[in-house]
Amino acid sequence: MRILFERSGGFAGMKLKASLDVESLPPQQLRRLRQLLDQSRFFELPLRLDSPDSRPDRFQYRVTVENNNCIRTVQASEDALPPEMFPLVEWLTAAARRPR
Amino acid sequence: MQLFCIVPSYILRSIVMNGDEHQRQAAWSTLTASEQCRGERRVLTLMKPGTNIMTGTKRRTVYDARHSYDLPGRLVRGEKDAKSKDHAVNEAFDGSGATYDFFYRVFGRRSIDCRGCRLDSTVHYGIQYDNAFWNGHQMVYGDGDGRIFRRFTGALDVIGHELTHGLIQYEANLSYRGQSGALNESCSDVFGSLVKQYKQKQTAAEANWLIGDRIFMPGVHAKGMRSLSEPGTAYDDPLLGRDPQPAHMRDYVHTVEDGGGVHINSGIPNRAFYLLAVRLGGFAWENAGRIWYRALCDKLREDSSFVEAMNMTVGSAGEIYGSNSREQKATREAWSDVGI
Repeated sequence: MRILFERSGGFAGMKLKASLDVESLPPQQLRRLRQLLDQSRFFELPLRLDSPDSRPDRFQYRVTVENNNCIRTVQASEDALPPEMFPLVEWLTAAARRPR
Repeated sequence: MQLFCIVPSYILRSIVMNGDEHQRQAAWSTLTASEQCRGERRVLTLMKPGTNIMTGTKRRTVYDARHSYDLPGRLVRGEKDAKSKDHAVNEAFDGSGATYDFFYRVFGRRSIDCRGCRLDSTVHYGIQYDNAFWNGHQMVYGDGDGRIFRRFTGALDVIGHELTHGLIQYEANLSYRGQSGALNESCSDVFGSLVKQYKQKQTAAEANWLIGDRIFMPGVHAKGMRSLSEPGTAYDDPLLGRDPQPAHMRDYVHTVEDGGGVHINSGIPNRAFYLLAVRLGGFAWENAGRIWYRALCDKLREDSSFVEAMNMTVGSAGEIYGSNSREQKATREAWSDVGI
Protein backbone atom coordinates (compact mmCIF):
# COMPACT_ATOMS: atom_id res chain seq x y z
CA MET A 1 0.00 0.00 0.00
CA ARG A 2 1.24 3.50 -0.88
CA ILE A 3 -0.08 6.77 0.42
CA LEU A 4 0.51 10.09 -1.27
CA PHE A 5 -0.30 13.10 0.88
CA GLU A 6 -0.30 16.68 -0.39
CA ARG A 7 -1.22 19.85 1.41
CA SER A 8 -1.40 23.27 -0.25
CA GLY A 9 -2.84 26.65 0.63
CA GLY A 10 -2.82 28.03 4.16
CA PHE A 11 -1.56 31.49 5.03
CA ALA A 12 1.95 30.55 3.94
CA GLY A 13 0.79 28.99 0.68
CA MET A 14 3.54 26.40 1.03
CA LYS A 15 3.28 22.86 -0.23
CA LEU A 16 3.74 19.89 2.08
CA LYS A 17 4.13 16.47 0.50
CA ALA A 18 4.76 12.90 1.62
CA SER A 19 4.92 9.61 -0.21
CA LEU A 20 4.74 6.59 2.07
CA ASP A 21 5.37 2.96 1.38
CA VAL A 22 3.07 1.76 4.12
CA GLU A 23 4.46 -1.76 4.45
CA SER A 24 7.94 -0.45 5.18
CA LEU A 25 6.77 1.50 8.23
CA PRO A 26 7.75 0.31 11.72
CA PRO A 27 5.03 -2.06 13.04
CA GLN A 28 3.60 0.37 15.58
CA GLN A 29 3.22 3.13 12.99
CA LEU A 30 1.74 0.70 10.49
CA ARG A 31 -0.85 -0.42 13.02
CA ARG A 32 -1.73 3.18 13.88
CA LEU A 33 -2.06 4.19 10.23
CA ARG A 34 -4.40 1.28 9.44
CA GLN A 35 -6.45 2.25 12.49
CA LEU A 36 -6.69 5.84 11.25
CA LEU A 37 -7.67 4.77 7.73
CA ASP A 38 -10.46 2.67 9.22
CA GLN A 39 -11.55 5.41 11.57
CA SER A 40 -11.72 7.94 8.76
CA ARG A 41 -13.64 5.47 6.56
CA PHE A 42 -11.37 6.64 3.82
CA PHE A 43 -12.70 4.24 1.18
CA GLU A 44 -16.27 5.44 1.72
CA LEU A 45 -15.52 9.15 1.54
CA PRO A 46 -16.70 11.20 -1.41
CA LEU A 47 -13.92 12.05 -3.83
CA ARG A 48 -14.31 15.78 -3.18
CA LEU A 49 -15.06 17.45 0.09
CA ASP A 50 -15.55 21.16 -0.47
CA SER A 51 -17.23 23.70 1.72
CA PRO A 52 -19.92 25.88 0.11
CA ASP A 53 -17.93 29.09 0.73
CA SER A 54 -14.23 28.81 0.12
CA ARG A 55 -12.58 30.47 3.08
CA PRO A 56 -9.27 32.29 2.91
CA ASP A 57 -6.03 30.74 4.07
CA ARG A 58 -7.44 27.27 4.78
CA PHE A 59 -5.45 24.24 3.77
CA GLN A 60 -6.33 22.09 0.74
CA TYR A 61 -5.64 18.36 1.06
CA ARG A 62 -5.17 15.62 -1.49
CA VAL A 63 -4.78 12.07 -0.17
CA THR A 64 -4.21 9.14 -2.52
CA VAL A 65 -4.23 5.55 -1.28
CA GLU A 66 -2.98 2.89 -3.65
CA ASN A 67 -3.72 -0.66 -2.59
CA ASN A 68 -3.70 -3.89 -4.67
CA ASN A 69 -4.07 -2.02 -7.98
CA CYS A 70 -6.91 0.09 -6.49
CA ILE A 71 -6.29 3.82 -6.35
CA ARG A 72 -8.50 6.26 -4.55
CA THR A 73 -7.88 10.02 -4.27
CA VAL A 74 -9.82 12.23 -1.89
CA GLN A 75 -9.52 16.00 -2.22
CA ALA A 76 -10.73 18.06 0.69
CA SER A 77 -10.65 21.61 1.84
CA GLU A 78 -9.75 21.91 5.49
CA ASP A 79 -13.08 23.43 6.49
CA ALA A 80 -14.98 20.54 4.89
CA LEU A 81 -13.07 17.75 6.64
CA PRO A 82 -15.32 15.46 8.66
CA PRO A 83 -14.11 15.15 12.29
CA GLU A 84 -13.30 11.44 11.82
CA MET A 85 -10.66 12.45 9.26
CA PHE A 86 -8.79 14.85 11.57
CA PRO A 87 -6.53 12.24 13.22
CA LEU A 88 -5.52 10.75 9.84
CA VAL A 89 -4.72 14.20 8.47
CA GLU A 90 -2.74 15.09 11.62
CA TRP A 91 -0.74 11.85 11.33
CA LEU A 92 0.00 12.39 7.64
CA THR A 93 0.98 16.03 8.28
CA ALA A 94 3.42 14.94 10.99
CA ALA A 95 4.82 12.26 8.64
CA ALA A 96 5.30 14.88 5.90
CA ARG A 97 7.20 17.12 8.32
CA ARG A 98 9.62 14.41 9.45
CA PRO A 99 13.12 14.99 8.10
CA ARG A 100 14.19 12.31 5.65
CA MET B 1 -23.87 39.91 -7.75
CA GLN B 2 -26.54 42.56 -7.52
CA LEU B 3 -29.57 42.16 -5.28
CA PHE B 4 -32.71 43.86 -6.44
CA CYS B 5 -34.61 44.88 -3.32
CA ILE B 6 -38.42 45.18 -3.38
CA VAL B 7 -38.19 47.34 -0.29
CA PRO B 8 -36.54 50.66 -1.19
CA SER B 9 -33.53 51.68 0.83
CA TYR B 10 -35.20 54.72 2.47
CA ILE B 11 -37.74 52.39 4.09
CA LEU B 12 -34.99 50.02 5.18
CA ARG B 13 -33.11 52.92 6.74
CA SER B 14 -36.20 53.96 8.65
CA ILE B 15 -36.57 50.44 10.04
CA VAL B 16 -32.92 50.51 11.07
CA MET B 17 -33.53 53.73 12.99
CA ASN B 18 -36.87 52.87 14.53
CA GLY B 19 -37.41 49.10 14.57
CA ASP B 20 -36.86 46.65 17.37
CA GLU B 21 -33.61 44.67 17.58
CA HIS B 22 -34.76 41.90 15.25
CA GLN B 23 -36.21 44.29 12.68
CA ARG B 24 -33.11 46.51 12.76
CA GLN B 25 -30.77 43.59 12.15
CA ALA B 26 -32.90 42.24 9.29
CA ALA B 27 -33.18 45.64 7.61
CA TRP B 28 -29.50 46.31 8.13
CA SER B 29 -28.53 42.97 6.53
CA THR B 30 -30.65 43.79 3.51
CA LEU B 31 -29.26 47.30 3.17
CA THR B 32 -25.67 46.23 3.38
CA ALA B 33 -26.18 43.25 1.10
CA SER B 34 -27.39 45.41 -1.74
CA GLU B 35 -25.01 46.97 -4.22
CA GLN B 36 -26.55 50.37 -3.45
CA CYS B 37 -25.03 50.29 -0.02
CA ARG B 38 -21.43 50.51 -1.17
CA GLY B 39 -22.09 53.86 -2.78
CA GLU B 40 -24.34 55.09 -0.02
CA ARG B 41 -21.99 54.30 2.81
CA ARG B 42 -21.44 57.97 3.57
CA VAL B 43 -25.18 58.46 4.03
CA LEU B 44 -25.44 55.51 6.34
CA THR B 45 -22.66 56.77 8.55
CA LEU B 46 -24.59 60.02 9.06
CA MET B 47 -27.51 58.19 10.63
CA LYS B 48 -28.39 59.26 14.12
CA PRO B 49 -26.32 57.94 17.00
CA GLY B 50 -28.22 55.67 19.33
CA THR B 51 -28.74 53.13 16.58
CA ASN B 52 -26.33 51.05 18.54
CA ILE B 53 -25.25 49.10 15.50
CA MET B 54 -22.89 52.00 14.82
CA THR B 55 -20.14 52.25 17.36
CA GLY B 56 -16.74 53.86 17.03
CA THR B 57 -15.11 51.94 19.82
CA LYS B 58 -13.14 48.73 19.66
CA ARG B 59 -14.76 45.59 20.93
CA ARG B 60 -12.34 42.71 21.11
CA THR B 61 -12.72 39.21 22.49
CA VAL B 62 -10.04 36.54 22.66
CA TYR B 63 -10.77 32.83 23.11
CA ASP B 64 -8.56 29.85 23.83
CA ALA B 65 -9.23 26.67 21.85
CA ARG B 66 -6.86 24.76 24.19
CA HIS B 67 -5.41 22.77 21.29
CA SER B 68 -8.77 21.53 20.10
CA TYR B 69 -10.49 22.28 16.80
CA ASP B 70 -13.58 23.65 18.53
CA LEU B 71 -14.43 27.27 17.93
CA PRO B 72 -14.52 29.74 19.42
CA GLY B 73 -13.20 28.03 22.57
CA ARG B 74 -13.09 29.42 26.09
CA LEU B 75 -13.35 33.19 26.59
CA VAL B 76 -10.08 34.43 28.10
CA ARG B 77 -9.93 38.17 27.46
CA GLY B 78 -12.58 40.79 26.79
CA GLU B 79 -12.20 44.42 25.86
CA LYS B 80 -12.09 45.68 29.43
CA ASP B 81 -10.01 42.87 30.86
CA ALA B 82 -6.43 43.15 32.06
CA LYS B 83 -3.51 41.70 30.16
CA SER B 84 -3.25 37.93 30.20
CA LYS B 85 -0.21 35.88 31.25
CA ASP B 86 -0.56 34.17 27.86
CA HIS B 87 1.46 36.05 25.21
CA ALA B 88 -0.63 34.67 22.35
CA VAL B 89 -3.79 36.11 23.90
CA ASN B 90 -2.24 39.55 24.28
CA GLU B 91 -0.77 39.52 20.79
CA ALA B 92 -4.17 38.67 19.26
CA PHE B 93 -5.78 41.38 21.38
CA ASP B 94 -3.22 44.06 20.59
CA GLY B 95 -2.91 43.12 16.92
CA SER B 96 -6.64 43.31 16.24
CA GLY B 97 -6.66 46.64 18.11
CA ALA B 98 -3.86 47.99 15.95
CA THR B 99 -5.70 46.85 12.81
CA TYR B 100 -8.91 48.50 13.98
CA ASP B 101 -7.02 51.72 14.77
CA PHE B 102 -5.37 51.74 11.36
CA PHE B 103 -8.62 51.44 9.40
CA TYR B 104 -10.44 53.89 11.69
CA ARG B 105 -7.77 56.61 11.79
CA VAL B 106 -6.68 56.34 8.17
CA PHE B 107 -9.96 55.60 6.40
CA GLY B 108 -12.63 56.37 8.99
CA ARG B 109 -13.76 52.79 8.93
CA ARG B 110 -15.40 51.35 12.05
CA SER B 111 -14.20 47.75 12.20
CA ILE B 112 -14.15 45.35 9.30
CA ASP B 113 -17.89 45.62 8.59
CA CYS B 114 -18.02 49.44 8.87
CA ARG B 115 -20.46 49.01 11.71
CA GLY B 116 -18.27 48.45 14.72
CA CYS B 117 -18.54 44.66 14.76
CA ARG B 118 -16.68 42.82 17.46
CA LEU B 119 -13.26 41.42 16.60
CA ASP B 120 -13.04 37.86 17.86
CA SER B 121 -9.86 35.81 17.90
CA THR B 122 -9.15 32.25 18.95
CA VAL B 123 -5.60 31.24 19.90
CA HIS B 124 -3.98 27.82 20.49
CA TYR B 125 -6.08 26.23 17.76
CA GLY B 126 -5.20 22.62 17.02
CA ILE B 127 -1.93 20.83 17.77
CA GLN B 128 1.24 22.32 16.26
CA TYR B 129 -1.10 24.01 13.82
CA ASP B 130 1.07 25.99 11.41
CA ASN B 131 -1.52 28.43 10.13
CA ALA B 132 -3.85 31.36 10.78
CA PHE B 133 -7.14 32.04 9.04
CA TRP B 134 -10.36 34.03 8.95
CA ASN B 135 -13.33 31.66 9.07
CA GLY B 136 -15.97 34.12 7.94
CA HIS B 137 -16.71 35.28 11.50
CA GLN B 138 -13.47 35.39 13.43
CA MET B 139 -9.71 35.09 13.44
CA VAL B 140 -8.11 31.75 14.28
CA TYR B 141 -4.42 31.27 15.13
CA GLY B 142 -2.24 28.20 15.54
CA ASP B 143 0.91 27.91 17.63
CA GLY B 144 3.13 26.87 14.74
CA ASP B 145 5.01 23.59 14.58
CA GLY B 146 8.00 24.81 16.59
CA ARG B 147 10.38 23.77 13.83
CA ILE B 148 9.62 26.10 10.95
CA PHE B 149 6.95 28.37 12.39
CA ARG B 150 6.51 30.21 15.63
CA ARG B 151 3.04 31.10 16.84
CA PHE B 152 1.08 33.08 14.27
CA THR B 153 -0.06 35.84 16.63
CA GLY B 154 3.56 36.97 16.77
CA ALA B 155 3.34 39.04 13.59
CA LEU B 156 1.18 42.14 13.21
CA ASP B 157 1.11 41.85 9.42
CA VAL B 158 -0.34 38.31 9.73
CA ILE B 159 -3.10 39.65 11.98
CA GLY B 160 -3.73 42.57 9.62
CA HIS B 161 -3.76 40.17 6.66
CA GLU B 162 -6.39 37.93 8.21
CA LEU B 163 -8.62 40.79 9.31
CA THR B 164 -8.39 42.26 5.82
CA HIS B 165 -9.86 39.01 4.49
CA GLY B 166 -12.80 39.80 6.74
CA LEU B 167 -13.01 43.34 5.39
CA ILE B 168 -12.91 42.07 1.80
CA GLN B 169 -15.90 39.86 2.59
CA TYR B 170 -17.90 43.02 3.31
CA GLU B 171 -16.59 44.92 0.31
CA ALA B 172 -15.58 43.45 -3.03
CA ASN B 173 -15.98 39.90 -1.69
CA LEU B 174 -13.35 38.75 -4.19
CA SER B 175 -13.92 35.14 -5.07
CA TYR B 176 -11.11 32.98 -3.65
CA ARG B 177 -9.81 31.39 -6.82
CA GLY B 178 -7.92 32.36 -9.93
CA GLN B 179 -7.06 36.02 -10.44
CA SER B 180 -9.80 37.34 -8.16
CA GLY B 181 -8.45 35.04 -5.44
CA ALA B 182 -4.93 36.31 -6.05
CA LEU B 183 -6.30 39.86 -5.71
CA ASN B 184 -8.00 38.86 -2.46
CA GLU B 185 -4.67 37.55 -1.18
CA SER B 186 -2.78 40.56 -2.48
CA CYS B 187 -5.09 43.10 -0.84
CA SER B 188 -4.69 41.19 2.42
CA ASP B 189 -0.89 41.34 2.08
CA VAL B 190 -1.03 45.02 1.11
CA PHE B 191 -3.20 46.16 4.01
CA GLY B 192 -1.49 43.74 6.41
CA SER B 193 1.78 45.47 5.48
CA LEU B 194 0.24 48.92 5.85
CA VAL B 195 -1.05 48.09 9.34
CA LYS B 196 2.53 47.18 10.28
CA GLN B 197 4.05 50.24 8.59
CA TYR B 198 1.50 52.52 10.22
CA LYS B 199 2.24 51.10 13.66
CA GLN B 200 5.96 51.60 13.11
CA LYS B 201 5.49 54.94 11.34
CA GLN B 202 7.61 53.79 8.41
CA THR B 203 7.66 55.42 5.00
CA ALA B 204 7.47 53.31 1.86
CA ALA B 205 11.24 53.68 1.49
CA GLU B 206 11.90 52.57 5.08
CA ALA B 207 9.58 49.55 5.11
CA ASN B 208 10.94 46.06 4.43
CA TRP B 209 7.83 45.03 2.44
CA LEU B 210 7.95 41.52 3.85
CA ILE B 211 4.88 39.68 5.05
CA GLY B 212 5.40 37.30 7.96
CA ASP B 213 9.03 38.17 8.70
CA ARG B 214 8.46 37.49 12.38
CA ILE B 215 6.89 34.03 12.34
CA PHE B 216 9.83 31.84 11.39
CA MET B 217 11.88 29.90 13.93
CA PRO B 218 15.56 30.78 14.19
CA GLY B 219 17.69 28.87 11.71
CA VAL B 220 15.14 28.89 8.89
CA HIS B 221 16.51 30.52 5.73
CA ALA B 222 13.67 32.93 5.17
CA LYS B 223 13.43 36.72 5.12
CA GLY B 224 9.68 36.31 5.43
CA MET B 225 6.75 34.50 3.91
CA ARG B 226 6.34 36.79 0.92
CA SER B 227 8.07 39.86 -0.41
CA LEU B 228 5.89 42.59 -1.92
CA SER B 229 8.95 44.38 -3.29
CA GLU B 230 10.65 41.32 -4.78
CA PRO B 231 8.24 38.43 -5.12
CA GLY B 232 10.07 35.12 -5.34
CA THR B 233 12.95 36.06 -3.04
CA ALA B 234 11.43 35.66 0.43
CA TYR B 235 12.85 32.20 1.16
CA ASP B 236 15.03 29.41 -0.14
CA ASP B 237 15.37 26.69 2.45
CA PRO B 238 15.73 22.89 2.35
CA LEU B 239 12.56 22.47 4.44
CA LEU B 240 10.44 25.18 2.81
CA GLY B 241 11.58 24.94 -0.75
CA ARG B 242 11.89 28.11 -2.77
CA ASP B 243 9.51 31.08 -2.82
CA PRO B 244 7.41 30.40 -5.95
CA GLN B 245 5.90 33.86 -6.39
CA PRO B 246 6.10 35.56 -9.79
CA ALA B 247 6.84 39.28 -10.04
CA HIS B 248 5.47 39.66 -13.57
CA MET B 249 2.52 38.41 -15.57
CA ARG B 250 4.80 36.49 -17.94
CA ASP B 251 5.57 34.15 -15.01
CA TYR B 252 1.94 33.68 -13.93
CA VAL B 253 1.63 30.21 -12.42
CA HIS B 254 -1.12 28.00 -13.82
CA THR B 255 -1.97 25.37 -11.24
CA VAL B 256 -5.01 23.65 -9.75
CA GLU B 257 -3.57 23.70 -6.26
CA ASP B 258 -4.21 26.49 -3.77
CA GLY B 259 -7.36 27.64 -5.59
CA GLY B 260 -5.35 28.24 -8.72
CA GLY B 261 -2.29 29.58 -6.89
CA VAL B 262 -3.94 32.47 -5.02
CA HIS B 263 -0.96 32.74 -2.64
CA ILE B 264 1.45 32.50 -5.54
CA ASN B 265 0.10 34.85 -8.21
CA SER B 266 -0.65 37.49 -5.58
CA GLY B 267 3.00 38.42 -6.12
CA ILE B 268 2.05 40.29 -9.30
CA PRO B 269 -0.46 42.79 -7.83
CA ASN B 270 1.70 42.96 -4.67
CA ARG B 271 4.62 44.25 -6.69
CA ALA B 272 2.37 46.70 -8.54
CA PHE B 273 1.33 48.18 -5.20
CA TYR B 274 4.92 48.32 -3.94
CA LEU B 275 6.10 50.11 -7.10
CA LEU B 276 3.32 52.67 -6.78
CA ALA B 277 4.05 53.23 -3.09
CA VAL B 278 7.80 53.84 -3.49
CA ARG B 279 7.33 56.04 -6.54
CA LEU B 280 4.78 58.26 -4.80
CA GLY B 281 6.92 58.27 -1.65
CA GLY B 282 6.03 59.25 1.89
CA PHE B 283 3.74 57.03 3.93
CA ALA B 284 2.25 54.36 1.68
CA TRP B 285 -1.16 54.38 3.38
CA GLU B 286 -1.64 58.04 2.50
CA ASN B 287 -1.41 57.71 -1.26
CA ALA B 288 -1.12 54.20 -2.74
CA GLY B 289 -3.12 52.77 0.15
CA ARG B 290 -5.85 55.33 -0.37
CA ILE B 291 -6.11 54.46 -4.08
CA TRP B 292 -6.22 50.74 -3.36
CA TYR B 293 -8.76 51.14 -0.56
CA ARG B 294 -11.13 53.10 -2.74
CA ALA B 295 -10.88 50.51 -5.53
CA LEU B 296 -11.45 47.68 -3.06
CA CYS B 297 -14.47 49.28 -1.44
CA ASP B 298 -16.16 50.95 -4.37
CA LYS B 299 -15.13 49.26 -7.58
CA LEU B 300 -13.72 45.77 -7.43
CA ARG B 301 -16.21 42.96 -7.91
CA GLU B 302 -16.29 39.30 -6.87
CA ASP B 303 -14.81 38.12 -10.14
CA SER B 304 -12.42 40.97 -10.88
CA SER B 305 -9.32 40.11 -12.87
CA PHE B 306 -5.89 41.75 -12.74
CA VAL B 307 -6.78 43.87 -15.78
CA GLU B 308 -9.95 45.05 -14.09
CA ALA B 309 -8.03 45.82 -10.91
CA MET B 310 -5.66 47.93 -12.97
CA ASN B 311 -8.55 49.85 -14.52
CA MET B 312 -10.23 50.34 -11.17
CA THR B 313 -7.15 51.52 -9.34
CA VAL B 314 -6.31 53.88 -12.20
CA GLY B 315 -9.90 55.12 -12.07
CA SER B 316 -9.68 55.59 -8.29
CA ALA B 317 -6.43 57.51 -8.61
CA GLY B 318 -8.08 59.78 -11.15
CA GLU B 319 -11.03 60.39 -8.85
CA ILE B 320 -8.86 61.21 -5.84
CA TYR B 321 -6.04 63.15 -7.51
CA GLY B 322 -7.45 64.19 -10.85
CA SER B 323 -7.29 62.91 -14.40
CA ASN B 324 -3.74 62.73 -15.74
CA SER B 325 -2.40 63.47 -12.28
CA ARG B 326 1.05 62.22 -11.34
CA GLU B 327 -0.63 59.65 -9.09
CA GLN B 328 -2.87 58.31 -11.82
CA LYS B 329 0.02 57.99 -14.26
CA ALA B 330 2.12 56.26 -11.63
CA THR B 331 -0.71 53.79 -11.01
CA ARG B 332 -0.91 52.91 -14.68
CA GLU B 333 2.88 52.52 -14.86
CA ALA B 334 3.05 50.31 -11.81
CA TRP B 335 0.68 47.81 -13.40
CA SER B 336 2.41 48.09 -16.75
CA ASP B 337 5.71 47.24 -15.05
CA VAL B 338 4.26 43.92 -13.86
CA GLY B 339 2.91 43.12 -17.32
CA ILE B 340 -0.73 44.25 -17.04
